Amino acid sequence: MTERASAEAIGATDVAKRYFDGATRVHAVEGVSLSVARGELVVVQGTSGSGKTTLLGLLGGLIAPTRGDVRIAGKSTVHMRDHHRTRWRRAHVGFVFQELQLIRRMSLLENVLLPLVPSGGARMTHVERAERLLERFGLAEKRDVGVERLSGGERQRGALARALVLEPEVLLLDEPTAHVDAENAARVVDLLAEEKAAGRAILATTHDPRLADDPRVDRAVVMEAGQLRAPDA
Amino acid sequence: MRRQWALLEHALGSLRRRAWRHVALAVAVALVVGVYGSALLLADALRGEWRSTLASVPDLVVQRLEGGRPALVEVAALAEVVPLDAPGVRSAEARVWGYLFVEALGANVTVVGGERPLDGALAAGRAPRAGAERPECVVGVALADHFAVRPGDRLAVPDARGELVLLEVVGVFVAASALQTADVLVTDDATARRLLALPEGRATDYAVTLSRPEEAPVIAGQVRARMSDARVIERDALVRTYELTFDGRSGLLSALLVPCLAVLLLLVWERLSGLGEAERREIGVLKAVGWETRDVLTARLWESAIVAVGGAWVGALAAYAHVFWLDAVGLRGALFGWSALHPPLELTPVIDPTAAWTLLGVVVVPFVGASIVPAWRAASIDVDEAIR
Repeated sequence: MTERASAEAIGATDVAKRYFDGATRVHAVEGVSLSVARGELVVVQGTSGSGKTTLLGLLGGLIAPTRGDVRIAGKSTVHMRDHHRTRWRRAHVGFVFQELQLIRRMSLLENVLLPLVPSGGARMTHVERAERLLERFGLAEKRDVGVERLSGGERQRGALARALVLEPEVLLLDEPTAHVDAENAARVVDLLAEEKAAGRAILATTHDPRLADDPRVDRAVVMEAGQLRAPDA
Repeated sequence: MRRQWALLEHALGSLRRRAWRHVALAVAVALVVGVYGSALLLADALRGEWRSTLASVPDLVVQRLEGGRPALVEVAALAEVVPLDAPGVRSAEARVWGYLFVEALGANVTVVGGERPLDGALAAGRAPRAGAERPECVVGVALADHFAVRPGDRLAVPDARGELVLLEVVGVFVAASALQTADVLVTDDATARRLLALPEGRATDYAVTLSRPEEAPVIAGQVRARMSDARVIERDALVRTYELTFDGRSGLLSALLVPCLAVLLLLVWERLSGLGEAERREIGVLKAVGWETRDVLTARLWESAIVAVGGAWVGALAAYAHVFWLDAVGLRGALFGWSALHPPLELTPVIDPTAAWTLLGVVVVPFVGASIVPAWRAASIDVDEAIR
């Protein structure tokens, strides 16, 4: 593992998320504290239902915590009003969902441009930025292809391009190598390593050893029944 | 501004992605606007026609009754009957006019006698002159079309005894005054008397023009005092009769259309409020990638506005074509029931801006509102919940 950078890009202190599933009270995340610095690649491992995705949603400001504090780029987002939190999140966090959430019947380029729409701006600049990313991710030829006609690996990289188009400080990924073959998984891990080298803080959930055991990963933590522990604990 | 352009562009893309659904909604809007717009346009056109007709009606018309029916008046008695020196009276004349049945037309022609300036009332030609080598006439556009005559042509009209009188057509009235002039034939006084078999020295009625129309009841009272068998018709009474008859009918038609409008809007609402799973998820994705609720709603607003305004335009054009090109087929009977017009009347396009705004308010605004509500509901829930 590399030396951990000192500046925190994203962090959580004693964060919890509880909700009711019918009459049953579910402790999805309980008392988790975590900090990821700029230039650091951290993986969260754990079985299905352990609360990994909920933790990612809490850190990314997509889910409001029941308790605790979440900080993005040095600012607590818990007490922000919804639209302030959205703006802050848009400026600082890129998110890749497990199901990728690319919009069907839109081209790859249109999907990558989506986060840029609310900020307006010159369209040409946006397109050029998106095209640079697609070129870097080996998707230049596919820019006008509908996402439903892309392969799993291409979609995965397309979702990553969309997450990076606003050049966020933090990149959150939910199972980024889950549905791709070995070659594409290796490519995704390479791209994450490049982003880490560029100074981005990266937190990825996974139970894929191809990512978890990669030597470029700085730290791995394990989620179990909504709580975090070190892998060797 | 740039944000709006970007959101508009996204909205256009979204319309393209669900083209058939949006076309179906635009057709529904077009249908509502078309049906309702037809009724409004027809009502406005007819209102315009009768207002233009009433504008040229004298303030007072004095008829003499005999056996309960209008009878001829003495031209020489005009000064005795109408108080010409009263401050409110501007002018008065004994009019020569009447109906002449023309078999070739299968209807009555209104023959009007006398030399009067017709500037501005004619689409072509000039007013008839008395003492011309051959009797001259100006005809309404429907008569001109029926007999296929234009200024310079000749028209043979049977007089009251059945003998043909050859008239030279010197002018045709403008189409805009069709309700008033469609079946009119204006000629010189002597020819009109011959056509109508109206003896010299007698006239159909007296027409009085007032300088102060509000004094009509006073002058009418003075006329009645001077002529015991007079029937005095005030212009205001005619206006009230037209309004009561016509507005009642158009109001009834509009009221009948309200349920149809409500049903269609309910269908649109039903269609829109059932936001599909894919759309709900799409809104969740947009929020997840950093769109605020207002961005989602603005894009949705553009989407609905394009569909609604597009549909409304198509509907409005269809309504215009229906009323003014297709002769308001289907609605004509409902609004024209107050009079059988011969020859047929061609409506002059009149568009009331208030009616246009009302239509916009009644159809477009609820439509856009109906689409915003479900989008707002979807955009307000947790992103996590929306995309799961």
